[in-house]
This record gives sequence, C-alpha cells and structure tokens, in this order.
Amino acid sequence: MKEITAKIQETAARLLTEGRVDIFIGWQKGEFGYNTKPFFAHSPEEADKLVFDEYSIHNLSNALLKFRDGHQKIGIVVKGCDSRGIVRLLEDNQFKRERLYIVGVCCPGMKDPLKKMYQDSGFAVQVNGDAELADKCRYCIQPNPVIYDELIGEKREPRLPEDRFKEVKELETKSYDERYQFFEQVLSTCIRCYACRQACVACNCRTCIFDETRPQWVGRETSISDNMMYHLVRAFHMAGRCVECGECERVCPVGIPLMLINRKLIKDVGEFFGPYEAGMEYKEGAKPPLSVYREDDPDDFI
Amino acid sequence: MKVFKRAKLEKVLDKLSASYEVHVPMKRGAQSGFFDYRTYNADFDELVLDVLNVLKPPKEAVFPQTEKMYSFKQEGQDVIIDKVYENEDKRIVFGMRSCDLMAISCLDDVFLTRGYVDTFYKKRRDNTIFVANACYSPGRQCFCDSMGVNPVEPELADVVLREYNEGYVWEIKTEKGEEITALIADLLEEKDVNLPEPKGCTLKVDYEGVDKKLKGMFEHPMWERFSEPCQTCGICTYTCPTCHCFDIQVKAWGEEGYRFRCWDSCMYREYTQMAGGHNPRETAKERFRNRFLHKLEFFNERYGKPLCTGCGRCIFVCPSGVSIVKIIEEIKGA
Ligand code: SF4
Ligand code: SF4
Ligand code: SF4
Ligand code: SF4
Ligand code: SF4
Repeated sequence: MKEITAKIQETAARLLTEGRVDIFIGWQKGEFGYNTKPFFAHSPEEADKLVFDEYSIHNLSNALLKFRDGHQKIGIVVKGCDSRGIVRLLEDNQFKRERLYIVGVCCPGMKDPLKKMYQDSGFAVQVNGDAELADKCRYCIQPNPVIYDELIGEKREPRLPEDRFKEVKELETKSYDERYQFFEQVLSTCIRCYACRQACVACNCRTCIFDETRPQWVGRETSISDNMMYHLVRAFHMAGRCVECGECERVCPVGIPLMLINRKLIKDVGEFFGPYEAGMEYKEGAKPPLSVYREDDPDDFI
Repeated sequence: MKVFKRAKLEKVLDKLSASYEVHVPMKRGAQSGFFDYRTYNADFDELVLDVLNVLKPPKEAVFPQTEKMYSFKQEGQDVIIDKVYENEDKRIVFGMRSCDLMAISCLDDVFLTRGYVDTFYKKRRDNTIFVANACYSPGRQCFCDSMGVNPVEPELADVVLREYNEGYVWEIKTEKGEEITALIADLLEEKDVNLPEPKGCTLKVDYEGVDKKLKGMFEHPMWERFSEPCQTCGICTYTCPTCHCFDIQVKAWGEEGYRFRCWDSCMYREYTQMAGGHNPRETAKERFRNRFLHKLEFFNERYGKPLCTGCGRCIFVCPSGVSIVKIIEEIKGA
C-alpha cells in the first residue's frame, strides 16, 4: 500500500503541476487512523496528503457528479468497482471522458471504516459480516479497473464466493407470502434518509423522482407502504445499471440488505437480456440493456 | 441509596410497562434504538441498557419521525377537520444518556418557548418521564463534556440510574420520578454501594467563543473545502438527537385525507427548493455550512446553548468521514 500511496502522490503532484488536472480526488487519513476519507487535492503541495490504504473503500466516482456542470479537469483514483462507476457516468452522458485523468489501482480488497467506527464507538450497533474484509469486496467480480489512463499494481483475481447468487436463489425458492413478509420486515426499518441514493453513482438523475413534489410520486411517511414504494422504484431504476459497488448497503445506517435486491436485479438482467454485467467496459455509443428506446418494441409499456 | 439487582431489570420493565409505554434501548436486527418494551421479542431483540448508547436517538418519543396531525373531509363547500391526533399516551424513556437528555432540552427550547407552543410536541412531552442512565465510561467519539453536558448528572431526568457491579442505583430526582418509583417499590432495596470513578470523555474540543467567531465566517473558504466529501446524505441529521427540522405534508384521496409531519433535513436539496425553481442552498457547500452554523452559531444566539450535545453519532455514521469536532477545531484555528 505504501508504494501505491507514493505512486498516487507522485502522479497527483505531476498532474496538478502540469495543469493536466485542476482537482485530484483520492483519499486522506482520518483522525482515528482507520477512518480514511475522500480528499480533494487542489495544489501539488496538497498531493502529499493523499493516501491509499486498506480503508480506501469509498466509490469516489460518485463525487464526480459534483463537477458535472463545470469545466474543471479532474484526476481520480479508482479501484475495480469504482472504475465501473465511471463507465456508468460515461454511458449515462454525465461526464466527458476528456475531462478525466483516471488512475486505476488493482484492488487488494478493502475494510469498511464505517464498521470499524461503529465498533469503536461503544454504541450498540450491530456489526454484520467480516470486519476484516468489507462485504462488498467478498462479492467482487472485478478488482481491476476497467478504464484508466494509468494503472498501479499487478492485476488480481476476482474474489467471488462460490455462488454469487446464493442468497438470491434462497429467496427465490420461498413462497410469495414468505417473500412479502421478508421484505415487509426488512423494509419497515428504513428511515428513508436516502443515503443509499446519495452514495450511488447510478443515481445520477438531476431531479430525483423522490424529490418531486408536483406531483409527489412517493409519500414521505416512514410507513411500510411508502417505504416499499421507495425501494421498488429505486430497484426498477437500478436494473441493468447498478455496478455492484456496494456503497448503498455500506452507508445504510440501519443495515437494510440492499445488495440482496441489487443482486436479484443483476441476476435477472443477466438471464433475460444478457449475459450482461453493467459497467464492465466502455464503448462509445454502446447502449446497455434497458436503456434503449425503440418504436417497434414488442412491449407497448416500459 | 435505592438499588435494584441486574437480574431484576426485566421485572422492573414489566412492572413499569403495565402502566406506561416504556421505551428502552434495544438492538433490533441491524438496528439499534429506543423501542417500546411491549414489543420486545427475545428471539430478535436484545436489551442493551449496559452498552453506551443506541444509534437512533430517543427524540422519537417526543418527536416521532412521522406524526399524524389531523384528518379532514370535504363536505360541500367546507373542509371539516374531523380529528386531531394529539398523543397523550403515558410514556417512560428508560436508560437515556446525558447527551440525549440535553438534546431534549434543546427540543423544549424550540417547541415550547419564545412565544409559540407546539401542542403536538407538548402533549407528548408532558406525558413523558425520563429515566436517565449516568455515563461513567464514555466512548471513543463522545465529547459531551466539551459541550456543556455532564455525563453523570443528566439534565431533565426524573430518575437517574447509576450502574454498579451488581445492578443499578435508582436515584429519584422529581415528583414524576416518585410516581413511577411507587410502581416498583417492592423490587428496590436500600443499600450503600460504591460507584465507579467517572472517566470523562477522551475526545475533547474547545467550543468557547466559536459561536461569536462564526458570525464573521459565512464566506470563509473552509465551507467549500470541508464540504467536498459530503454526499448530502443526511444521515448525520437523522441520527442526531437535537436535529428537529420537519416538513408538513398531506395524503389525500377523493374528498378526505390527513396531514402529517415528518423529519426533514437541511442536507437535502428539496428542503430549500422554492416554488419557481430557485434554490438558495443548491450545492453541498451551502447545506453543509447551514448545518454547522445552525448547530454552533444560530441556535446559541437564540437559546444560549449549542445545538450539539456531543453524542458523537454524526461522527461515526458519516460515510465520508466528516467530523463536527474537526470542524470546531478548524473554526477555532481559522
Ligand atoms: S445501487 Fe448500490 S451497489 Fe449499485 S451502483 Fe448504486 S451504490 Fe453501487
Ligand atoms: S440508506 Fe438505508 S435507511 Fe436510508 S433510505 Fe436507504 S435503505 Fe433506507
Ligand atoms: S456523549 Fe456523554 S452522555 Fe452521551 S453517551 Fe457519551 S459519555 Fe454518555
Ligand atoms: S453524514 Fe456526512 S456525508 Fe452525509 S450529509 Fe452528513 S456530513 Fe454529509
Ligand atoms: S451534531 Fe453530532 S455530536 Fe452533536 S448532538 Fe448531533 S449527532 Fe451528536
């Protein structure tokens, strides 16, 4: 990790000095040692603050949305999953490739600083899963950046559990009532903070349907019907678009199993329209499934 | 001193629950918060009175996330309000920490003082009794004693619990406290016990003078820089025990419907979205600045205390590593 950090600092300093980029997005150390956080370097001097360590988990591609209307040139560090986020933005026409200088890092797998913070807080927050390896990394199908200008490190093998869709299949075998009950139970605890949406690179609509007030499509009560409506709509909007970066589930303060929903979508899109994995390569003009409109579509509605 | 043994805790809660809705700190699946003891299910839930605190703040007892206000009907030309939902259920919040009690005192300031009394809040508040739990070992992100809170002497408490090696001291503070003590009198015993030495917080910050200093810092470049990683997700405000912004919305079908209020957050775009499309807090910078100015400057100006009680929640829930302690230090150093 030390070498990676050194390379990133060197690249960032060079790009900032040469004026190739105006801002360089990476990570910096946090106050507690393990709470590494996003960092935006604006000058070559600030490049010294950049780090890459086992807690560099955030999908920084989401931060590009802040700059989508500007003209700044941006340098950004991406891991495998994050790079798929960049493809998402390019395919969705949210960013121009020319404005980016992408530094790819072949990812060794990350730990989740949020989990570590919870554990350390003394609060009664349940910490699910493996504290050593973040949940999202256990399912990683692409640790190596799929789009970059510069690559750091040796390519790595995907770290897939034997059956990536095991939990999804288990759920699929349940009866309609059991599934309804299951979703009712897990979604009833959603506090509708929309952090899952904010953390998501695929949630890049300028005005989100949940923020529309005239008309208001989805009610703002934390009731099971409004909660389900929120999650159903978001699921539909993620089908074929989710790049499996796991940020939504990671940031959810109440531990809603969002990746279970996302993996079901991934499985279905793969089976019905695939084989297809979102954001695995960028071809200019390529149209992913479910993002094309054709007048002669055999279905007359969505 | 009046004490009860740890083994009697569930009995105490059973007895109180016979006459009150008792909100206790629980771990419920992946969630932790204050939930009604009557819904306690040993298969899913865990009572966590002995751990430091829970993620969802107890403000929900007096200020629920979603609260029905009134329902209405249209009759001919008139609109009739047919029911006002003021909640007068008798309730105890059991095991609250000092930081969360001070937060209630902030909510009291907002909803009950300065010439306007919010009756929905008041009805709940008048019928709520607080059993506090003194903090002898603060956690890594607790900094309440820097924000004018005493972890072992909670404000507003009707009863204070003090944990010792075998159970809890039951210290009555008010008349309401006496009332509920009568309900569990047979479970209490008189005993002199040694209490642990209070440790105080390890995380410290110097808030002195920050409110005044902020007056001249509206345009300071720090807001731009510090808000850069912020995703405006709002988790920090939803888990904060003091945040109290809400929106009033309506659900209607045909000729009838109801109004309700629900938490809102200054971190959201929609919060300041105006009719006509203008938004004075368009980007993360403006929203982020508002959150800290409200907590550290405006609230203090109006009510004489900060709108942060140092509970530490926003520090460890922030997915982007934003820390209010760091922000205060930065303001100090600016
Ligand atoms: S839905 Fe979740 S996993 Fe998928 S792209 Fe968005 S944040 Fe990442
Ligand atoms: S982050 Fe979690 S609690 Fe917040 S809206 Fe998303 S699923 Fe609900
Ligand atoms: S902030 Fe203070 S009162 Fe609150 S839990 Fe920590 S030590 Fe206790
Ligand atoms: S929790 Fe962090 S990222 Fe989310 S709105 Fe608050 S400061 Fe911003
Ligand atoms: S601002 Fe943060 S530390 Fe302060 S009371 Fe709110 S959640 Fe707790």
